[in-house]
Amino acid sequence: MIRIHVLEGAALVWSVEDAREIRERFRLVGTLVGALARKPRQNARLGLPLQLLPEEARLLAELGAAVLVRGTEIQPPAEGEEPTQASEVEAYQRELEESYQEQQRLAGAERGALLARLAERIAQGRARRREQRGETPDTAEDSGLLDSPFVLPRDSMMVQLPTARRHPGQVERVDWTSPSPDWPHAGCPAHEARYRVFRELWGRGYYLSGGSKFGGDFLVYPGDPLRFHAHYIALCCPQGAPLPLRTLVAAARLGTGVKKTLLLCSPGPSGALAFTSLQWSGLQ
Amino acid sequence: MDEVGCAAPGTAPSGPEREARGSPRGNWMATHPKLTEMMSLDVADSTQVYAAFLVYLDLLEGRNWHEVTCVGLAELQLVCLRAHEREAENLQVVVPTPVHMSFTHQRLREIMKKACIPQDGTDSPLSVILAIVESDSTVVYYKLTDGFIMPDPPDDTEDVDNKQWRKKRRKLLR
Repeated sequence: MIRIHVLEGAALVWSVEDAREIRERFRLVGTLVGALARKPRQNARLGLPLQLLPEEARLLAELGAAVLVRGTEIQPPAEGEEPTQASEVEAYQRELEESYQEQQRLAGAERGALLARLAERIAQGRARRREQRGETPDTAEDSGLLDSPFVLPRDSMMVQLPTARRHPGQVERVDWTSPSPDWPHAGCPAHEARYRVFRELWGRGYYLSGGSKFGGDFLVYPGDPLRFHAHYIALCCPQGAPLPLRTLVAAARLGTGVKKTLLLCSPGPSGALAFTSLQWSGLQ
Repeated sequence: MDEVGCAAPGTAPSGPEREARGSPRGNWMATHPKLTEMMSLDVADSTQVYAAFLVYLDLLEGRNWHEVTCVGLAELQLVCLRAHEREAENLQVVVPTPVHMSFTHQRLREIMKKACIPQDGTDSPLSVILAIVESDSTVVYYKLTDGFIMPDPPDDTEDVDNKQWRKKRRKLLR
């Protein structure tokens, strides 16, 4: 079961397996919003968590493929209680020391092997230099250098930085059918309207993503967004909601500028969804 | 509705006494036979009729459309136009509206259903052209179609291989 962590309305997926299943099996895209641990000062490429639109999260929950959960471990430590157990710190230090010893041993072995491989060339080089300086070769000194003790400097040691929690925290399930502080969308008219449109378009085989980039509710792709441009900018119009012409003109003109059709979506009188395509027409 | 500049000039008190004022030819707009005809349909308020008249002129004089006629739709309180973009092409329906109007999606669909003429022999989807008239008489046209209309394919991919793109790609792959 996919776990979707909700926090103040945001739906996040932290597990890479879940994120992959969401895209490959359910054709849902979401957006990666986490900084990459090794490239934190850029935003061209991002990593986990995967943030889902409320509609995407609800669809997964409705399909029975995911549960919404919230963390329950956020309360601060009680009075007098250390935030981190001393024993944990000790265990961590011990692990670090063990790792250092191991690395020291491995690096020493590596160095020994390297010196042995190059011993002949080193000896030749030394002999040559002595000759240039006019000294007599001293074979005893040369061979002695290879056995000098090796110490791995502490700051050269490699340290594992965990980027995922090794022990997942306590969570509790959140009911997606009723509103709560972490899932305020349930029952909200705008969400309900958007969700109907989302579900219908997804059901027709389209891929969807958030449409705020182009001033709409969703961008509608004929296939995976990595391979296709969006065809439509979907604008959800709840029944009876006014649609000023200026808004329409702005949205449709922008859509034409980026080669997309503006798609008005709203429930029709019979309950079925109605879609209207709007395109700028030059009429030259 | 009574936005400045959107009201039909001189449509309210039209008559012989207005013709004497102004330029030697009088207020030709107010007495234009097409405008009079649209007014006499008595289906819409004067701002919509004026917008319809401007679109009529634009289609006929500015874009050389053929056989532009006006139709009153009392039910929708609209005067809409029917015309051929080119002589051999199908009849198209143009729905003129002043820019300050607000629609709902339901009303747009109602207009599409009631104003559209079913094309014989083809099962093409319902489609009308919305003509939006600015107060300076600029007209912009938007095509409304029932269902999903795929946009034009992207431009030629020749510029994909230009220098800038290669540079960008290098940067992304780094």
